[in-house]
Amino acid sequence: MDTAFTYLKIGSGRSSSLATIETSGLTKRFESLVAVDHLDLAIDREIFGLLGPNGSGKTTTVKMLTTLLIPTEGDATICGYSVTKDPLAVREQISYVPQDMAVDPKLTGRENVIFFAKVYGVPRPREVADEALAMLDLAPRADDLVRTYSGGMRRRLELAQALVHDPAVLFLDEPTIGLDVAGRRRIWEHIIALKDRGMTVFVTTHYMDEADHACDRIGIIDHGRVVATDSPAALKASVCRDIVSIRADGPLPGGLPEGVAFLGRTDGEFRFEADRGDEMGPVLSRAFARAGLAVRAVSVRQPTLDDVFLALVGESDDTEAFDDRRFRRMLRRR
Amino acid sequence: MKRMLYYMERDFRRWLRGRVNVLSTLILPAAWLIFVGLALPIRFTDNYLDFIAPGILVLTMLGASLQGGSLLMFDKVLGYLQKFLALPAPRESILFGKILFITLRGLIQATVILAIAILLGANFLNPALIASIYAVLFIFGILLSSVMATIALKVEDHDSYAAINAMVSMPLFFTSSALMPYDQMPGWLAAIARLNPVSYAIDAIRDLQAGVFPATTLLGLLIGAALVLLVSVMVFRRATV
Ligand SMILES: Nc1ncnc2c1ncn2[C@@H]1O[C@H](COP(=O)(O)OP(=O)(O)O)[C@@H](O)[C@H]1O
Ligand SMILES: [Mg+2]
Repeated sequence: MDTAFTYLKIGSGRSSSLATIETSGLTKRFESLVAVDHLDLAIDREIFGLLGPNGSGKTTTVKMLTTLLIPTEGDATICGYSVTKDPLAVREQISYVPQDMAVDPKLTGRENVIFFAKVYGVPRPREVADEALAMLDLAPRADDLVRTYSGGMRRRLELAQALVHDPAVLFLDEPTIGLDVAGRRRIWEHIIALKDRGMTVFVTTHYMDEADHACDRIGIIDHGRVVATDSPAALKASVCRDIVSIRADGPLPGGLPEGVAFLGRTDGEFRFEADRGDEMGPVLSRAFARAGLAVRAVSVRQPTLDDVFLALVGESDDTEAFDDRRFRRMLRRR
Repeated sequence: MKRMLYYMERDFRRWLRGRVNVLSTLILPAAWLIFVGLALPIRFTDNYLDFIAPGILVLTMLGASLQGGSLLMFDKVLGYLQKFLALPAPRESILFGKILFITLRGLIQATVILAIAILLGANFLNPALIASIYAVLFIFGILLSSVMATIALKVEDHDSYAAINAMVSMPLFFTSSALMPYDQMPGWLAAIARLNPVSYAIDAIRDLQAGVFPATTLLGLLIGAALVLLVSVMVFRRATV
């Protein structure tokens, strides 16, 4: 019976019934601070982007999934293995590239990779290291000291280190932070290539545009809570239509045209959403003028993940200031 | 076990790349040996070099171990440790590899000092004596580098580590039997010196010089090393969950 059960677990557990990464109620508290709050995710053979501002709990989530932090509550499985009950088996399946770049500058690129291959215990460390270096376009510089590498090359070297044992899941914590534009694009090209080879990639970032462009699905996290999970296109479609931004000073005028919804306001910029932004821009601008507000600029654009983020999470400080003013106006009317 | 050696290999490669480090760690003990060993007018023995050489060998190990702990501190602060902990290799092999590297590096430095001492005329040219001196230094190195690795796990930056290092190293050396025999010390100093692990290592080597097998001192060192290593592993496990 035992063997039958084991077989079932391997046969179905890895493909359909359990996703490659599954979390259930995954929670981490640091004393009173809830860094990650009841996370429920299922991720399978895709690039999953965890998107959120600094301090929202991305790194804490990754550390729990890579067995570097023990969850306060809940659990997660990687390839069917629990991060709390079977951390060693989890580590066999994954690779982790942390936020701060950690490659040895005094060693050559090749030495850095061979070292990892040896510690992973792969059979032919030298050959495997050569392959990994070639895959990340580092072969020509493999014997130079890492001290002479650019930031982008160091990141690629970290990817090469992470690939030597052919992991099922790759965790990347802010892989493009601090890189120039070309370096970033290159890293994402490599990440996409890895996904195409069947790897599950869990990546965190606070760059919305990158996540939009490269991730299959995105989880938006704020203050430890994942507030939405979907493909970038679906997220954008669900949250807003076209965005009309109007720069003007003063309070929001009343009597908005029909089909227009007010989204929010940041630094004297009002944001509205509408089906036909190009037509609604002038209409709104006239409404502002009628209310006696000087309109300084009007712009129309397609929604981006930034807007999704603002709509879902909001900018609490700004809305409060706005409400405050309206409240005072109400008092004056009395 | 093999994993531990790979971690050690990494440290050796990094150490040998920084040539200045290799040289600078040898200067202080060599200076002691030459200026104190040869130049100091001492009356209680006619061969002060023979007397002080064991102290300088142990000083070399002491310096190497104290400095070595900072390697683990840097691995932690710079994020290497995070990466290593996510590897499937047994996590303790990180700690053991570090302790082994620090100790072996100390032995290499001690070898240079030993060679200089012999060139200066110290009576060490006996294979059995040299082998047993290495054994003593090895146990002493494990003991001290385990202590320093434990401290390194608790310290968050280089300045604090350097402060602790300075606080520990000089008192340990000067309250040991390195510079004078117990009967030449003031009573209070002798009492401290007899408890100091540095004296244990030095006394063991002096006994070996005199052809006596230092059973009790050696046992004391061994027990000390085993205890400290155990504590170190426990602290490491707690620090890395
Ligand atoms: N070891 C810790 N002890 C206390 N608080 C922590 C610790 N690690 C992270 N935090 C806090 O948890 C929150 C989430 O941090 P983190 O996961 O690093 O965010 P992100 O990676 O999204 O920037 C932050 O408020 C941070 O200050
Ligand atoms: Mg982070």
